[in-house]
Amino acid sequence: MDLRKVWKLLHGRRAVSVVVSNVILTGAVIAVSFVVLLWAQYRSSAYNAQYGEALNADIARLKERLAFEYAFYSGGNLTVYLMNCGTIDNENVTAVYVSTSTGELIKASSSITLMHFNGTQIADKDLDRGEEGYFTLSSLNLVTGTSYSIRVVTGRGSTFDHTFIA
Amino acid sequence: MTIRLLLRKRFRKLIANSKGFSSVIGTTFMVLVMMFLSTSVFLWTLSQNTLYNEAVRARNQEESDRRNENVVAVSGNYSVSGNEVTVNVMLRNAGSVAAQIINLWVLDTDPSNRRYANKSLNLNLNPGNVTNLVESSPLTVTIPGANASHNFASWFVTGRGNTIPLEKEQAVIVAQLAQGIGSLALDFATFRFFTYANSTMLANYSDGIKSFNVPSRTSIAFGVVLTNLDPRKQTITLNLYSQVWLYFPKSPGQSTVFYIVNVASDGTITTPYSPITVAFGETKLIVFASNVAGGQTTVSISSSVENLPCALNLLLLGTIGTRDYGQNIPFVSLYVYKP
Repeated sequence: MDLRKVWKLLHGRRAVSVVVSNVILTGAVIAVSFVVLLWAQYRSSAYNAQYGEALNADIARLKERLAFEYAFYSGGNLTVYLMNCGTIDNENVTAVYVSTSTGELIKASSSITLMHFNGTQIADKDLDRGEEGYFTLSSLNLVTGTSYSIRVVTGRGSTFDHTFIA
Repeated sequence: MTIRLLLRKRFRKLIANSKGFSSVIGTTFMVLVMMFLSTSVFLWTLSQNTLYNEAVRARNQEESDRRNENVVAVSGNYSVSGNEVTVNVMLRNAGSVAAQIINLWVLDTDPSNRRYANKSLNLNLNPGNVTNLVESSPLTVTIPGANASHNFASWFVTGRGNTIPLEKEQAVIVAQLAQGIGSLALDFATFRFFTYANSTMLANYSDGIKSFNVPSRTSIAFGVVLTNLDPRKQTITLNLYSQVWLYFPKSPGQSTVFYIVNVASDGTITTPYSPITVAFGETKLIVFASNVAGGQTTVSISSSVENLPCALNLLLLGTIGTRDYGQNIPFVSLYVYKP
């Protein structure tokens, strides 16, 4: 292409509006596309975070395990000895349900104080891996020699059941 | 016009035509965005699922280990001294995984004294390992109000949360045997003798020297561990005439007697003799040291029986419950050496 043709192309006014409109339209499409990309990424990140949280909670629940070492009833008080034999720390007890062998609820308690075996209160209010502790439920009226079941609910939502004879 | 020329002409026309260019770009972008997002979400979800599967696999493994844990507690029995309840037991890991024993629970099941106690432990058992807690390190817990006539239940707790109940099989057999040969059983393996730190104090009390070879011409005393296995669960009281009697087959007529004595925790022999009681199930170290009944005169084996074997008999006298009691326990042989 010689210089004369380049000069003619730059100074020619024919179809200028078509080029401009095409450039504007293309630019607008690209801009909108980027906005859509960012929005979609934001939405997928939110989904990822939500899904990740749910999954991590499930994994933490899977790692939880409480062993009932002993449950002793005397004088209206039920003392339950527990051990965290799972593979995750910070296992706390948020609710306890005592029911009969037929499933009739006798007592539900959500204010549980965990104690060390030596009688002192557990400072962080939870059981770490391998840690042992107990709690006491008072004002129970159980029949001696009868079988009852106890359900312990942890802060992560796991439930552990145990049967004992009062 | 050939088909090839026709296609080339149409392609040039398509390239030259600017109509719908933005739509093409937009569509391309959309496709790229969709591919990028779906791929990233898919890969991320895949990684999360891998994490979850890993957690499930680990949980299954733990559950499998927990189910494969198989520790048995056999040959168990209880002895009571005051509020102290001692559990004698043999632990055997019969499972395929190592086990850690972290706790012992003992429950007094007597209706008059429903109390319990626990003791923290740290016993590690590999598969096939046997830990004999009968001889080496008995487990003692404190239960206020415990009595030898009470029945006890106990169990161990493992680190995986399993509980191992104690089986009292052998205690029953021993108690049945006791009905035939007498209510006091001698622990053969813990037989010992003592030398003196001074004229009234035993050296290295209460361990002594666990041997069946004893020196002559040296003041010594004997220590035997007795357990009351009376089938009627009565308390036995030993009076001052209870003694250890040595006789020498190769030296007829030669015998040596060691009378029962009271010994303080530091090894000092106290006088006068105060009758020793052994409650049912209780295991006690009884010391025989005196040349005279009820007193404290040291005894040594004569040099005339050096390098000779002898038989040792326990002649136990006193009361069982409200009745008189007498039992002769043989079975121990000694060799007297020249020091």
